[in-house]
Amino acid sequence: MTLRTLKTPATLALALALAVAAPAASSAQGKLDRATAPTPGSSPAMRVPTWTRTKLANGAELIVVEKHDLPLVAFNLDFVGGAPSFEPADKLGTAQFTGQMLSEGTKTRTADELSDAQQMLGTTIAASVGSEGGNVRFTALKDKFVPALDLLADMMLNSTFPDSALERLRGRALVALAQQRDQPNAIAANVFSRVVYGDAHPYGRVTNEKTVKAITRDDVLAFHRAYFKPGRAVITVSGDVDPKAVRAAVERAFAAWPAGGERPSFAYGPLPAPVARTIYLVDKPKAAQSVFAFGTPGPARNTPDYYALSVMNHLLGGLFQSRLNHDIREVKGFSYGVRSSFAFGHGPGAFQAGGGIVSAKTDSALMGFMTHFKGVQGEMPFTDDEVKQGKESLIQSLPSRFATVNNIAASVSAIYTQDLPETFYQDYASRINAVTKDDLVRVAKKYIDTDHMALVIVGDRATIEDKLKATGIAPITILDVDGKH
Amino acid sequence: MRQVRTFHLAALLALAGALPAVAQPATRGGSNSVNIQFQRMTLPNGLEVILAPDHTIPQVAVNVWYHVGSKNESAGRTGFAHMFEHVMFTGSGHVPYGMHDRLTEGVGGTNNGSTTNDRTNYYEVVPSNYLESALWLESDRMGFLLDKLDDAKFRAQRDIVQNERRQGVDNQPYGRAFELLDYGIYPSTHRYSWPVVGYMTDLQAATVDDVKNFFRLYYAPSNATIAIVGDFDPARAKSMVTKYFGDLKGGTRIARPAITMPALAAEKRMVFEDRVQIPRLYLSWPSVGEDQSDTHAIQFLAQILAGPRTARLTKALVYDRQSAAAVGAFDNTNENAGNFIVQITPRPNHTLGELEATADSIIARLKDTGPTAEEMKKTQAGLEFAFVSQLQSNLGKSNILNSGLVFHGDAGNFRKEYAQLKAVTAADVKRVANKYLGAGRVVLSIVPLGKPELASHADRSARVTVAADGGHYIMGNTQ
Repeated sequence: MTLRTLKTPATLALALALAVAAPAASSAQGKLDRATAPTPGSSPAMRVPTWTRTKLANGAELIVVEKHDLPLVAFNLDFVGGAPSFEPADKLGTAQFTGQMLSEGTKTRTADELSDAQQMLGTTIAASVGSEGGNVRFTALKDKFVPALDLLADMMLNSTFPDSALERLRGRALVALAQQRDQPNAIAANVFSRVVYGDAHPYGRVTNEKTVKAITRDDVLAFHRAYFKPGRAVITVSGDVDPKAVRAAVERAFAAWPAGGERPSFAYGPLPAPVARTIYLVDKPKAAQSVFAFGTPGPARNTPDYYALSVMNHLLGGLFQSRLNHDIREVKGFSYGVRSSFAFGHGPGAFQAGGGIVSAKTDSALMGFMTHFKGVQGEMPFTDDEVKQGKESLIQSLPSRFATVNNIAASVSAIYTQDLPETFYQDYASRINAVTKDDLVRVAKKYIDTDHMALVIVGDRATIEDKLKATGIAPITILDVDGKH
Repeated sequence: MRQVRTFHLAALLALAGALPAVAQPATRGGSNSVNIQFQRMTLPNGLEVILAPDHTIPQVAVNVWYHVGSKNESAGRTGFAHMFEHVMFTGSGHVPYGMHDRLTEGVGGTNNGSTTNDRTNYYEVVPSNYLESALWLESDRMGFLLDKLDDAKFRAQRDIVQNERRQGVDNQPYGRAFELLDYGIYPSTHRYSWPVVGYMTDLQAATVDDVKNFFRLYYAPSNATIAIVGDFDPARAKSMVTKYFGDLKGGTRIARPAITMPALAAEKRMVFEDRVQIPRLYLSWPSVGEDQSDTHAIQFLAQILAGPRTARLTKALVYDRQSAAAVGAFDNTNENAGNFIVQITPRPNHTLGELEATADSIIARLKDTGPTAEEMKKTQAGLEFAFVSQLQSNLGKSNILNSGLVFHGDAGNFRKEYAQLKAVTAADVKRVANKYLGAGRVVLSIVPLGKPELASHADRSARVTVAADGGHYIMGNTQ
């Protein structure tokens, strides 16, 4: 059986033609032919929302996207730049504590009052700072938007950062860190960061007991002063709102927020010298599965190879029927699911592949992964149908990015926080469609460096080490759960 | 000041600035109204169909619910309902393996399935021009799955299910907690006592004939509902549904098991050793199923006890005494029975016994005086937001509509449920706290290997171990 696939309209003319066309119904009379897949109608026209973009007096950008079908509003205050650009390397966790402490009381409200006020509004104001960006955000019913916004502004501008709260947060963080050392996926992620990027690179630093214990209230105050600045802020409001009213409310809520701050350069230091392919084995006695985290540093989001990499990775380990998942899970039955991804940050975010593998098949699965890395580099060329599927899947899933007020806010703000072209979504289909089969092989060879790949495996050493050795794929280095020798 | 307008293909057609008419679903209202507009259709073979157009984005969700879950299995034959969820993606009479993913994910959509104690569902979210394909796929596996099912396929999926269990339970710290709580609270013959994923020994013993009989009984159109939500024309969708599902044979009448929640005569204390560094305490009381009206007040109870910062247990344990790193409470609500669970993770130098005593005194106070008016208002505001928020997703709406129809016989049950939630009073919450949070309960301590003495009241707690089959549990003696 074959399947007809379609082209996605990339031009306005085609969209015009499709705008009034309903999906083609099958009106066949008589006995139903079940053996033939229904013929799909034309692809629906791509609908990207419109938005307004202005600048507040203090320099923060304000984007408003209207969506009026439900009485909901998403408010995102995004900051460009993350923890590594602002927190000392020996005090990792400062950014996280600062975000959490915005909920610990302001000049006029106790922490309990802040919490009660949010609950009365049916919302939660959350703050977090990641490795390259941070945000303070909430989603609320439209009639609660203005009071929630005022509350958020109070938390961000007037927090008091009490010492007692820092000690409580530290105590809870230490418990969470201890629990992470029991969690094989968390162990794999931490060890992967350390071996791929090393201690000197921001991507290789992992918050631990020592850094958490070193943080003082002064560190938190300093981070707060340095980080939450309008010069690196993008405010995105999406939902059942009027842009003028939003602007007035935001101007008023942030009237006392002084100008200042700029986007960090994201000029990370050099990567460590490449190391020959190595298996880093972390012992997890009697583990039912071995957790794989394989990879290397990858390209930044602004690489011209972004589209080719997106298609290639989708086919290698993105789709359910990707080569990795199809073979390792569906054909061989070694796993509940494996995948691969590129982090695509401002710096050399990782290419990573992995998943949980039944312990007894750890060696076979490792060989399977290596086969597929080589396969996409040309040993097992992509078929026309694979490529067609990869492209159509990426292009036609775009509407999901505009399904909810939160999806819309995230999708639109990404344009400005990641410096994408403003027509990124409109151009997406044509950029993806322009990728050739040769491009896929080229980027697979360029970015999946199997000669220098870190192969982190967290599993039961007693049953897997000898078999891993016997594969001859790479020498084995034993590490502890913190990635140390 | 710079002003940017990014263009919008459809808006450009409709006139700049104006939203296209298709982006205005009928649910729009000035207030925080909660509504889903839908139509109903029933085919002669018994298949119930719900259609809810929403043109916000050009996608459509097709969601089929079968009213069968692990409770329809029998002891010694567990895990079938969930195994089906997997087998259903391996191809059917006219659909070769792989085609299902090719026509969903491969064209920009998604698909998945899930199994609970009470129901199994399958969904596709696809670009709107693939609605007919999705209906073709679902009808083929509803009508013709067995044409292509053989032992090899069954065994292959059994391997994957075992991996699912390894990943979700065996290889996770505290991963067995909820199985242990079910094991503790239900008699071993109770239909909610075994895990949805089943016991591997049962799956190993299953024959293809067992499997086929199960399918014939429970996967008939008369035991299914299908919700179609999103960007489609209802008249055309109805004709497509008739075309693909109309000639499938209805099933025989299914005897629904009568399930009640057994009371626990006394407290049952258990300790389980796990590969963890930090112990954890779980309290579990028999509560009610979704079929009982008390379920709404119980939801309030969970929020008031362990919701945000100022919830009773959260404030006392995490903030004031700082004896806990985290607390949680929720009702594990099945169709016909449920259990109310409180979970507490201690900070160092605080024992599970101390945390249990503090939690008990706080719960006793709530039972005594009931919640405050402010606690009720806060909880209501959160629930109202959650209710409206879930209406944003086509898939979310399709689950709400199916759930109403399957469990309450009314796809529009969400309106009633919403009204009932808003009507819950402080007196209701006080009443259910007293009625359900009584002496008969399960207290489970999960402790590090070799440290059973860290359990709350270790001397009165029975040691539970995993049987040689890796799934069943064995209750030992108290120490």
